[in-house]
Amino acid sequence: MLLVAKLINNDTDMNKKLFTQICNEWRTNLWLFVELLLVSVVLWFIVDYVYVQTATYTEPRGFNADHCYKIEMGYLTAKSPDFNPADTLVAENIDELVRRLEHRPEIEAVSLSQNSFPYNGSNSGTQVRYDTLSAGTIRRYVTPGFLRVFQYTGTRGETPEQLASLLKENTFLASDNIFLNKYHTQLTPFVGKSFYLHSDSTKTYTLAASLKTVRYMDYESASESLCMVGLLPRFLYNVGLELCVRVRPDQDVDFPERLKADSEKQFRIGNVFISEIRSFKDIRRNYQQIWVNNIRNYATGMGFLMLNIFLGLLGTFWFRTQQRRSEVALQLALGSTKRSVFGRLLSEALILLTIATIPAIVGDYNLAHAELNSTYNGTNLEPIRFFVTILATWVLIALMILLGIWFPARKATRIQPAEALHED
Amino acid sequence: MIKQYFKQAIVQLRQQPVISAITIVGTALAIFLIMLVVMIQQVKVAPFSPESNRDRFLHVRFMSITNKSWGEGSSSNGPMSIETARECFKSLKTPELVTTYLVMTISTPVSLPNKPATGVDMRQTDDDFWKVFDFHFVNGKAYDHAEFEAGLPVAVITESVARMVFNSTDVVGKEFRLNHSPYRVVGVVKDVSTLATTAYAQVWIPYTSTDTPKDIWSDYMGLYSVTILAHSRDDFDKIRQEVNQRRDAYNKLIGENGYELIYRNRPYDQEKNAIAFGANFEPNIKKDRINRLVIFVILLLVPAINLSSMTQSRLRQRVSEIGVRRAFGSTRMEMVGQIIMENFIITLLAGILGLIFSIIFAYVGNEILFAQPYSNSYNVPAIDASILLHASTFIYALLFCFILNLLSSGIPAWRASRTSIVNALGGKTH
Repeated sequence: MLLVAKLINNDTDMNKKLFTQICNEWRTNLWLFVELLLVSVVLWFIVDYVYVQTATYTEPRGFNADHCYKIEMGYLTAKSPDFNPADTLVAENIDELVRRLEHRPEIEAVSLSQNSFPYNGSNSGTQVRYDTLSAGTIRRYVTPGFLRVFQYTGTRGETPEQLASLLKENTFLASDNIFLNKYHTQLTPFVGKSFYLHSDSTKTYTLAASLKTVRYMDYESASESLCMVGLLPRFLYNVGLELCVRVRPDQDVDFPERLKADSEKQFRIGNVFISEIRSFKDIRRNYQQIWVNNIRNYATGMGFLMLNIFLGLLGTFWFRTQQRRSEVALQLALGSTKRSVFGRLLSEALILLTIATIPAIVGDYNLAHAELNSTYNGTNLEPIRFFVTILATWVLIALMILLGIWFPARKATRIQPAEALHED
Repeated sequence: MIKQYFKQAIVQLRQQPVISAITIVGTALAIFLIMLVVMIQQVKVAPFSPESNRDRFLHVRFMSITNKSWGEGSSSNGPMSIETARECFKSLKTPELVTTYLVMTISTPVSLPNKPATGVDMRQTDDDFWKVFDFHFVNGKAYDHAEFEAGLPVAVITESVARMVFNSTDVVGKEFRLNHSPYRVVGVVKDVSTLATTAYAQVWIPYTSTDTPKDIWSDYMGLYSVTILAHSRDDFDKIRQEVNQRRDAYNKLIGENGYELIYRNRPYDQEKNAIAFGANFEPNIKKDRINRLVIFVILLLVPAINLSSMTQSRLRQRVSEIGVRRAFGSTRMEMVGQIIMENFIITLLAGILGLIFSIIFAYVGNEILFAQPYSNSYNVPAIDASILLHASTFIYALLFCFILNLLSSGIPAWRASRTSIVNALGGKTH
């Protein structure tokens, strides 16, 4: 029926035919245009999110938790038959436990800390003040071994071992960026100077080293991660402290099992015992699950949008090439190659995409301007990032268009010109 | 009539296999993803044993405390002490019950004496815990008020822990070691999924049998959370009122030492509590809902545009049929209704496909799909029909099919019905 209708149109007037065809196309093209516009905006939002997450993730972490384990301590109660009521030296027992762990051949370093290990949801905060410069930061109370377990390094090339030897009762370390956002100055020039800590103006501490910025976790950027590191005071010693160890790189296999097997014989000290051993691989996964879930959701959304573009193009061009069978056949008969016919179909769709991208950019810009997208380095709208994400969005959709058109185009160009023309 | 729609729908599907495939895949994919979003939300808020009363829960997982001497804006945030829980919540008159329990499960070594120990997730509770949550007891019963008050070393364990330690589930009265202390089994319950975030554990003991009540910080804070069971949701406002009165009275008392409790609008209901991860900020439930709505809109709108285009192309091939029917007296509304109904059958078929796939995926991919943020347990979130399938699941699926169908066939149907009879008979669409 349709072919007949078209034929009538074709016969009347060449101009009218062209007009009708554009009009015909325009109607299906409108659907495509709306879809491309909508998908382009949403996809840009996701690409922007992925861009920010990737950029954050790939920043240097400032610590290393590979080959690290957290050992949880327990304390026997009076209900236990093993309980020793005479033993009350908790701090000394913990010291002895640390010493014995340090002597274990597969262990490289051991540390005690409070609210300090990476991927830790619990924080303590404090004030770091020098003259009129003052900043609120995360406070990490640690034993010197902590710097070796998590391999913190200094901005002046200090190794973890050197940092460990610098941490004393009257010194502290801090990440290089604690004054950066507020006063636009790095901390390195202040090394060796006296600071006030913990909102206490009666005592000063020497900044022993400035730390290469230690990120809070994999999805928090360096610019938002501030910390200071002080020596764990003795009065805080209890079995609730974080006991962390780094094992030698080749000793990961079954480490928790091996240590657990020996824990009752070798590591029960007074009423203190080892209750659980967890690898930082697990701690990291559990802590970052919400970000991983989000990335999973966004990636699924991206797949969904792209698949829809593919299906939409496939469907639309399936109809279109069917309607244009005779046109394609004519082109082929007049010497067009299959490649050029495909190229014409493709450029039609790509032009449509580019036209849709223009209002989409306006939409993207407004989303960023309203700060509805991801924030990175304190901004939602940054020229390079905006350009890269828009380009990436265009390329991703173009790729799906290519795939969607390929199948109908191949079918259309496969026909024998003579046959198709004969049908007409 | 319905039979006629069915026939029409099937014939249409056959006529254009490629377009039909695209339509079905597009629809099924949309419903598949929508239902995954629905399920991810439902495991957090829909009731299932042992949290069958989720719609009547009010939680106070954390709170904040401040002191005049700490300076402006300083607060300490986390779970509360037993004393605070008792004074502020246990003593409430309006709710049916209030339970106090340790804020999280702790992986704890269990064993038989002188046997190697395994870490299992342990939760410390009071006796009301067993009335607020409905566990399936396989053997024995929960510790009662007397046992709780006496601080007896008794435990309720899950079937799998019973099997692991004793090689049997018929173990009531038997003794085992928990943190190197002897405990007696009083009850064995069916395993609990980690998705029951508040009730979940593998071993439960009275907190009075441990030293954790003495673990106090900032004088009034500790390691405990409470869950309030209301008689009905209608009581929520009244309970909140009473909670605030108690808080004010308690603040007056502790204010003598400069302290003040900050609730941040707690207690939260199940929906809000499910996204309340931090102790020191109030989750934005409205934003969470809007986000979900935007996701639904995108998941519906993008395929709907695709499908509209597809439907319209298909209808264009049927203009003469439409013309004939209109010429014989069919009204426009009848035409629209018929087209939408025919289309609904296709949507429904594809929707069922999508729903089936989403359920299969939920079972197979539970570890990825339902992975819980900030979980203290390393066990994977177990799934079963009672958790996953509710009457509302199917109602949602049907509802979303209906909306998707309306979106994807509404405009084409309306346009097709407006074609004038003469043009339609002539095969012109416009």
